[in-house]
Amino acid sequence: MIGVLGSHLMSGGHHIKEFMGMLSHTLTSIFRPPIRIKETFQQLFFVANGSLVIVVFCVCFAAMVTILESSFHMKIVIQNDSMVPGFAAMLILRELGSVVTALLLTSRVGAGMSAEVGLMKITEQVDALKMLGIDPVQYLVVPRLFACIIGATILTIVADITCIYSAFVISEAYLGFTPALFLTAMRRFVDFQDLIFSMIKGAAFGSVIPLISCYYGFRCKPGAEGVGSATTNSVVASSVAIIVIDFILSYIFSHFY
Amino acid sequence: MIEFKNLVKKFGERTVLKGLSFQISEGEILFILGTSGTGKSVLLKNLVGLMKPDEGEIWIDGAEVQNYTENQYLEIRKKCGMVFQHPALFDSLTVFENVAFGLRKHYRLPEEAIQQKVQKALGLVQLSGVENKLPTQLSYGMQKRVSLARTVALEPKILLFDEPTTGLDPVTTNAVNQLILSLSRSLKTTSIVVSHDMQCALSIADRIIVLDQGKIVDQGTPAELRKSTIPLVKDFLSEVLELEAANG
Repeated sequence: MIGVLGSHLMSGGHHIKEFMGMLSHTLTSIFRPPIRIKETFQQLFFVANGSLVIVVFCVCFAAMVTILESSFHMKIVIQNDSMVPGFAAMLILRELGSVVTALLLTSRVGAGMSAEVGLMKITEQVDALKMLGIDPVQYLVVPRLFACIIGATILTIVADITCIYSAFVISEAYLGFTPALFLTAMRRFVDFQDLIFSMIKGAAFGSVIPLISCYYGFRCKPGAEGVGSATTNSVVASSVAIIVIDFILSYIFSHFY
Repeated sequence: MIEFKNLVKKFGERTVLKGLSFQISEGEILFILGTSGTGKSVLLKNLVGLMKPDEGEIWIDGAEVQNYTENQYLEIRKKCGMVFQHPALFDSLTVFENVAFGLRKHYRLPEEAIQQKVQKALGLVQLSGVENKLPTQLSYGMQKRVSLARTVALEPKILLFDEPTTGLDPVTTNAVNQLILSLSRSLKTTSIVVSHDMQCALSIADRIIVLDQGKIVDQGTPAELRKSTIPLVKDFLSEVLELEAANG
């Protein structure tokens, strides 16, 4: 038992060390020319435009569930759901919009990046890049990093707006709130800084997804099983990282409220 | 000149290369033969820094390179061209862009000169007319030839081939072998070819090294190898000798 635990800890430590190595390599490569603007925009299109429909669709339902559940429980506990729009808007801006968007991006974009880089690794395309004098981290990771940071931030704003609009529609249709009542209740709880914090979270989550996905892609083992394993591991690790970063950022932001 | 001294490479508990030592002279065509998993490809990757040896030394043109940083290896890689076991073409780029990729990176040439060099390289591997196709639109054999053209276009001083003819038809195999021979003779290119193909080795190699379990079991000129008494070498030779006997 202790042996197994020790081996897991050593493996985890090794992963963290290697990941930090890639992170520092990426950070030093960011401002080194050539900056691949075309590739960055292609990736941005893939991240933001390609994920827009699925993000909007999912956050709509997440917002509807949030407002209906909040109303149901408030009515049971305090026999009054007048604060529901405020609570729901706060939850949407502080958590739901950014976290749900990031988790969706992890499964859609992160898994794709991990499989793509993994396949490049096992078919020796990464080695070919090195032989042609190209730094694979600068060539593959940096454009994806920029694209994901910008894309996740934009999608988080879209998700926040969509969530609040869905909550607004549901609260008017099913809970009997007038638009004025909804907006007044919402305004009491949320502020413009909530949207800024939500965007910061979106950008932070967006930076984690390509870094972890490419890291697992570069470590991909040969064969279909290797690619599958790299993809699974990258999605799991990214999801865990997003939840941990969400906790850290929420704790930091709580000092500003 | 290239020299390996007591090269050891391990993957976990498994030692793949067990103290290899040999030299390669300028302009020489060296074939490295051996069964799968004996460390032939690992040897090539150690030479250009894609892998690092655990022990031993690698010398290229009088410089000890095994401890070089990635930046220092850039110069070595500029000298060396490598044809990988997989075609290793960039899927999102056309054939033309793949072949021009290294030229654009390494040399500041006008677009016209790049076009000429790409056309020439594709002509050498008999693939003119596919410039605008994507790698996925080509057969595996054609992809390998594009990969060869991409390497040859850079006119490297040292050419490394990792099973260059695997998956190719006999006609193209012969053309690739002739290309290796002509590049080596006309441009004084040093060629190291990792292969399973004893027939090719006997026809174009200056020297052949046979690896087994990470060690050299035999080496010599094709004529010397033909007289080998080592069982593995005899196994490699048997098919060739049978074919020669059948052809009279």
